[in-house]
Amino acid sequence: MALTVTSLRTVTQYLSFIVFMYGGRFGVKLGSAIPCFACPYVRGCGGQCYLMGLQGVFGVGMSFEAMRGAPLAAALGWLLVFIILVAALGKTWCGWLCPFGLFQDWFSLLRRKLGVRERILTEKTKRALAPIKYILLAYLLVLPPLVTAKILHQDFNLPFCNICPGKSLLPLFEGNPQYLALNLSNAVTLTFSALLLIVTGVMLIGIFFKDRFFCVFCPLLALIHLAKPLTFLRLSKNVDVCTGCGNCRRVCIMDIAEVSAERGGPDVQTGECLDCARCAESCTANGALSLKWLRFNLFSSSRLYASRNLSRNTAGASKNAGSAGKS
Amino acid sequence: MNAQNQRETERLQKTGVRVQNEISRELEALRGRPDHMPGYDYFIDLLAGGIRPDVLEKRAGKPALNLLCVQAPLELIHAAGFLPFKIFSGSYAADALGADGRLPALTCPMLRAVRGIFRLNDSFSGRPWVLPTTCDWIVNLPRMLRMDNPQFAKWFHWLELPHLKDGDAARERWLAEVFGLKKFLEKTTGVKIDRKRLAASVAVYGRAWEALTRLEERRRAGAVPFVWFLIIANSFFLDAPEQWTNAVNALLPALRGNENKNRVFFAGSPVFFPNFKIPLLLEEAGLTVTGDDLCSSGRVFPGGINAEASSEYEMVAVLAGRYHEGCLCPTFADNDRRINSILGDAGNFEGVVFHVLKGCHPYDMESCLLEEPITRRGLKFLRLETDYTAEDGRNLLTRIEAFGQTL
Repeated sequence: MALTVTSLRTVTQYLSFIVFMYGGRFGVKLGSAIPCFACPYVRGCGGQCYLMGLQGVFGVGMSFEAMRGAPLAAALGWLLVFIILVAALGKTWCGWLCPFGLFQDWFSLLRRKLGVRERILTEKTKRALAPIKYILLAYLLVLPPLVTAKILHQDFNLPFCNICPGKSLLPLFEGNPQYLALNLSNAVTLTFSALLLIVTGVMLIGIFFKDRFFCVFCPLLALIHLAKPLTFLRLSKNVDVCTGCGNCRRVCIMDIAEVSAERGGPDVQTGECLDCARCAESCTANGALSLKWLRFNLFSSSRLYASRNLSRNTAGASKNAGSAGKS
Repeated sequence: MNAQNQRETERLQKTGVRVQNEISRELEALRGRPDHMPGYDYFIDLLAGGIRPDVLEKRAGKPALNLLCVQAPLELIHAAGFLPFKIFSGSYAADALGADGRLPALTCPMLRAVRGIFRLNDSFSGRPWVLPTTCDWIVNLPRMLRMDNPQFAKWFHWLELPHLKDGDAARERWLAEVFGLKKFLEKTTGVKIDRKRLAASVAVYGRAWEALTRLEERRRAGAVPFVWFLIIANSFFLDAPEQWTNAVNALLPALRGNENKNRVFFAGSPVFFPNFKIPLLLEEAGLTVTGDDLCSSGRVFPGGINAEASSEYEMVAVLAGRYHEGCLCPTFADNDRRINSILGDAGNFEGVVFHVLKGCHPYDMESCLLEEPITRRGLKFLRLETDYTAEDGRNLLTRIEAFGQTL
């Protein structure tokens, strides 16, 4: 396998999957502020998704008085860790490290293998769906304090985890299907578990037909995007070099139009961008798209790189389609 | 009447000889150049064999499909079992034959020459022809050709090119056109263009584009004189793309960088063999062309197709997008980012030579639009308006030499 951005990303994704899904079994414990779906419902996980940490600041049996002091310091400490991790790696947490991201990518691979067409969301639909991840973020921030304040039933604890398809699907990788069952304890648990099943079903269909469908709704992506001013990683565009060929938009797993359409300035890291760098990799204009960490240039688009890489990819695609060289 | 027919036949025969002489003279000169290398012979032989679809068919053993311009996806045509054959001619004798009192005085010389070669031989007939609606000359070409032979109209398939590139509406219209082409090709050949065939063809052109890009890199380092680059690019449609790719790849290791002085970028109307007047004059004046974006040279095919998206629909959509949005033809209305293909490479040259074929209105207009942003960047700009005649050579040389001194 040639060293390309994509091959590096793929290797990173698999390593990250192993670490975050199974790391705990080997003594790896990376804390409770991981900015990706390192799902704590997976027994033996190597770190915990910060969304649970964020919701778990509050919770059952807690009171606002009792939270002062050490618990508050711990919560602020994890927030700081989260901010440092996001500042250091930006949305590579989504594009390169998230185990649930890799899980979704498997469905995309399967779809391609079967030759099924991807359903691209129209700009109008994308605009309509974009706020949902912020609504979900608000939902997971607002409900837990209400549980602590005993306004809501204790089973409203961890409200996002209760409907997160990561909770139902990722534990399957350690042979645990229990979150796919209905929880009949009471009306709240039954509602949440039924909702989780529905969300899981919709997402499974969604991620088969559309790359990274879940990421469109991910509140963690929203949270990382809100922290964008603090991040060191930038996807930047030299608009004076871009001829607008649209390669970047066509390879974007989130179908971001701005990366090609932008004519004004260097910022093309939109709310949906996952920093996967596929756009820069397939860009045929020298230096039009760059991935930068502070002032360090990690990767810049190059015509020669693109020609080599696309030539290899298309040869691979042709081989997969079963007719390499027979033309 | 008979005497008239005979005169016409004699005229055609004489023109045929003149066209052949033009080609032979140029090829002879190429073989005698001090920078000639054995690796170039493959391309010279392709041009020597005749710029005709029947020659291509015989050489590559596949049916040829006539093409003009650069917007019809080659991969789609190739996947249908055709070899795309781009019709072109830089012959002055063919140009003179194609010109008559019925055409406007300032007709594009390239189109006149195409009309001329159509009158000279019938090897273009009997096979389909795909025409994108680019400039005013191209859209009228079938009717112009029908003046000589009413049968011409039968073989055309129009690709209606949306002259806007940005926006979903234009993209969707173009995609429908490309699907229309796919249907036309399938109907013509009886071959179903499925994703396997498409993937194989995309891979073939992917390798060709990689070779072309490496060649461009070598040229940037001064290792490929413009004339040889044009010979290689012009012969792209004269053999199976796999063979052409192999020949370019075999040539690459032999190309050594030279001292690079008076570096210029070449843009504007296409340059077609055997009319290498301007490239040779640039050379004579001591200018080195380190880059170009001519549709007969650097943009001879767009390349850069990402075919990872492997459903049939997506592959066609990727091809359509790349051939439409990625095209810098001045017939597009929203072509404002076209300048970036020149300025993006600005570190590699000191000036821009803009070639306008008399009568090639789109590039003529574009030259006015590009001059200001280019000179604002501190680069020199030279606009050369000419046609296929040789008479203006000395005047042009004087201007080019003067331009070279400003670099």
